[in-house]
Amino acid sequence: MSSEECDSDMEYSDNDCCYADYYNTGNDCDIDQIDPSKIDPEFFIFECLSVEEVERLLNENVELLSSSLQITPSLAKVLLHTHGWAVQDLISKYRSDASLLLVQSRIKPPHPPSNSDGSSSHSSQSSLSSKDSLEEDENQKPCPVCVMLCNVEIFSSLACGHKFCKDCWTMHFEVQIIQGISTGMSCMAQQCDILAPEDFVLTLLNKPNLRDKYQQFVFHDYVKSHPQLRFCPGPNCQVLIHAKEPRAKRAVCTNCKTSFCFKCGMNYHAPTDCSTIKKWLTKCADDSETANYISAHTKDCPRCHICIEKNGGCNHMQCYSCKHEFCWMCLGDWKAHGSEYYECSRYKENPNIAHESVHAQAREALKKYLHYYERWENHSKSLKLEEQTLLTIKTRINQKVMNASGTWIDWQYLLDAAMLLAKCRYSLQYTYPYAYYMEPSSRKELFEYQQAQLEAEIENLSWKVERAETTDRGDLENQMDIAEKRRTTLLKDFLEV
Amino acid sequence: MASLPRRIIKETQRLLQEPVPGISAVPDENNARYFHVIVTGPEGSPFEGGLFKLELFLPEDYPMSAPKVRFITKIYHPNIDRLGRICLDILKDKWSPALQIRTVLLSIQALLSAPNPDDPLANDVAELWRVNEAEAIRNAKEWTRKYAMED
Ligand SMILES: [Zn+2]
Ligand SMILES: [Zn+2]
Ligand SMILES: [Zn+2]
Repeated sequence: MSSEECDSDMEYSDNDCCYADYYNTGNDCDIDQIDPSKIDPEFFIFECLSVEEVERLLNENVELLSSSLQITPSLAKVLLHTHGWAVQDLISKYRSDASLLLVQSRIKPPHPPSNSDGSSSHSSQSSLSSKDSLEEDENQKPCPVCVMLCNVEIFSSLACGHKFCKDCWTMHFEVQIIQGISTGMSCMAQQCDILAPEDFVLTLLNKPNLRDKYQQFVFHDYVKSHPQLRFCPGPNCQVLIHAKEPRAKRAVCTNCKTSFCFKCGMNYHAPTDCSTIKKWLTKCADDSETANYISAHTKDCPRCHICIEKNGGCNHMQCYSCKHEFCWMCLGDWKAHGSEYYECSRYKENPNIAHESVHAQAREALKKYLHYYERWENHSKSLKLEEQTLLTIKTRINQKVMNASGTWIDWQYLLDAAMLLAKCRYSLQYTYPYAYYMEPSSRKELFEYQQAQLEAEIENLSWKVERAETTDRGDLENQMDIAEKRRTTLLKDFLEV
Repeated sequence: MASLPRRIIKETQRLLQEPVPGISAVPDENNARYFHVIVTGPEGSPFEGGLFKLELFLPEDYPMSAPKVRFITKIYHPNIDRLGRICLDILKDKWSPALQIRTVLLSIQALLSAPNPDDPLANDVAELWRVNEAEAIRNAKEWTRKYAMED
C-alpha cells in the first residue's frame, strides 16, 4: 500500500485499509512514511514541562542569541521577549541593521543621547534643580527626580543617557513591580521608553521579596510572549505546555489532566475555530436569558403524553409506559432517525426570509439560534449525564471483578466504550457552533450530512453503552469503531488548522 | 508624618514663586501633600470665564506614582466624568517621575482647550461631542455658567 492512497481523503473514509493499518501498528506496512496528521486530524505533538525545564529552554535561546550577536544575555532577553523568541529571525535582522533592531526593541534611543539629565532640560518649567548650581561642587549634582544633591558616582542611566540617582531608580522599580509590571519597566525620563533590562534592574533592586516577584513576573511575561509555550489553564497547576507547532489542537496536561485548545487556551473546540467559538460563547452568555427555558429535564412522550424525565445522556428515548421510541431533541420517531438522512440536527432556513418583515426576520434569527443552542446545550448535558454512566460502569466492573466474574482486563472494553462515547459527543457538541456560523452552501450541506451521521452513530453507541451488560461485546466494539470513524471523517474534512 | 521630601518642597516653592498663568495651586495648611487648585477656563474654550476647583494629592510614593487629581467643580467635558475623574494619559500609564505638578496642571488646562471625545471617560458626553459638537459646546457653556462662575 502506498501513502498516496491515503491522501485521497474522500475514498479514505469508505476504505478501511489505512485505518486498520493505523491501529494495527504491528503491521508491516510503511507506516513511518505516512504523515500522522493526515490520518488523525487531531494529531498534535506537545510536551508538558516544569518551570525549571522551561527556564532551561528559554536560557538556551538566550545563550544562543547572546553568543551569536556578542551581546549581554540581559539584552538578548529584551530582544527575544519583544520578538516572540524568534532567534534566527533576530540574528538576521541584527546582521542587516543592528541599530534599527535595537531602536525598535526599545534598547537604543532613536537619537544619540545628549549629555542631558532626566528632566527635559530644554523646557524652562521643569528645571527644579537649576537653582541649586551655587551649592554644587565638582562631584555633586542634583537628581532630577528627588532633587537631592548626590555624588555623581551613584547616578546611572540606560542607553538613552538619562541619569538618575540610585535611590530613585530603586524606588521607581519597586513601585512598578508592586503593580505587576516587570519586562515593561522603562526609563524615568519624560517620553523616554527605553526598557530597563534585567541586569540593570537586578543591580538596583535590593529587597529579596521584590527580587523574587520581579523574576516571577518576568518569567510569566516570557512565557506569554513565546508562541510555543502555554501555562496549563488548570487551577493551581504549575505545568507548562510546549508545542513546536502552535496550532488550535487539543493539548492535555499530564499533571492535572486539563485539556484545552493550545492556540486560544479555551476548552478544546474542534471542528470550530478559535475566533468562532469565542463569538459563539459570548453570544450564548449574552442570550442566556432567552435560552433558559430550554433547560427542562422533562418532556412528554409524543405518543402517550406521559411525562418522561431524561436521566441518561442518550437522546434515543424509550417511553417507560408505552415503549414508544423517540428522539429527545426533535421528538420524532426514532426509527426515522436510523441510517437515513437524519433531519434532526439540521436547521431548515426559511428560503424567503429576505422578503419578510423585520420582526419576522428577528423571530427567524432567534429560532435559528435556539435550534443550534438547544443542541449544543443538550449534548453538553448528555456529556455530564454520561459521566455518571461511566462512574456506574466503574462500580459495576469493580463488583464483577470482586465476585470473580472476569478480570479487570476482561471488562476494560466497557470503560473504553464510555470514554470513546464522551470523546465523540464532545466533538459533536462543538459541531453546532460551526454549523451555526456557516453560510448556506453545498459545503454546509455536506457538513450537516456528516454531522447527522455522527449524531446517529453516537446515539446508537450511547444506547448500547447504557445497556452494556446486555449488549454483545463485538456489537459494542463495532459501534465504537463506526462512531469514531464518523468523527474522524468529519474532522478530516472540516477541521482547518 | 514622615518629613516632606525635598522634591515636594522644591516644587511647592516654585509653584508659589512662579505660578503658571491661569492656574493657582496652594498647599493645604495641615497637609503639604494636598493642594487646592483653581484652573481658569481657557480663552476661546466653552469653559472661558469659569473658575474650576480641583484637588490634587501627592501619594506616598510620589513622584514614582502620579499625583491624584480630581475636579471638584462640575464640568461638562468628554474626558472628565461625573465624579470629576480625569482621563489623561500622564496621570496613568504615561506618568514619568520626571513630570511635575506643574506639567500635570498645564496638561489639564490643555485638555480644557482641546477635549478629546475619541478617548472618553464620560461616554454620554463624548457621544454628543462626536455627533453634535455644537450642542455639546452649548451644554458645556451652560454648565460653566451654572457651576463655575461666582454667584
Ligand atoms: Zn531615558
Ligand atoms: Zn534621585
Ligand atoms: Zn482555540
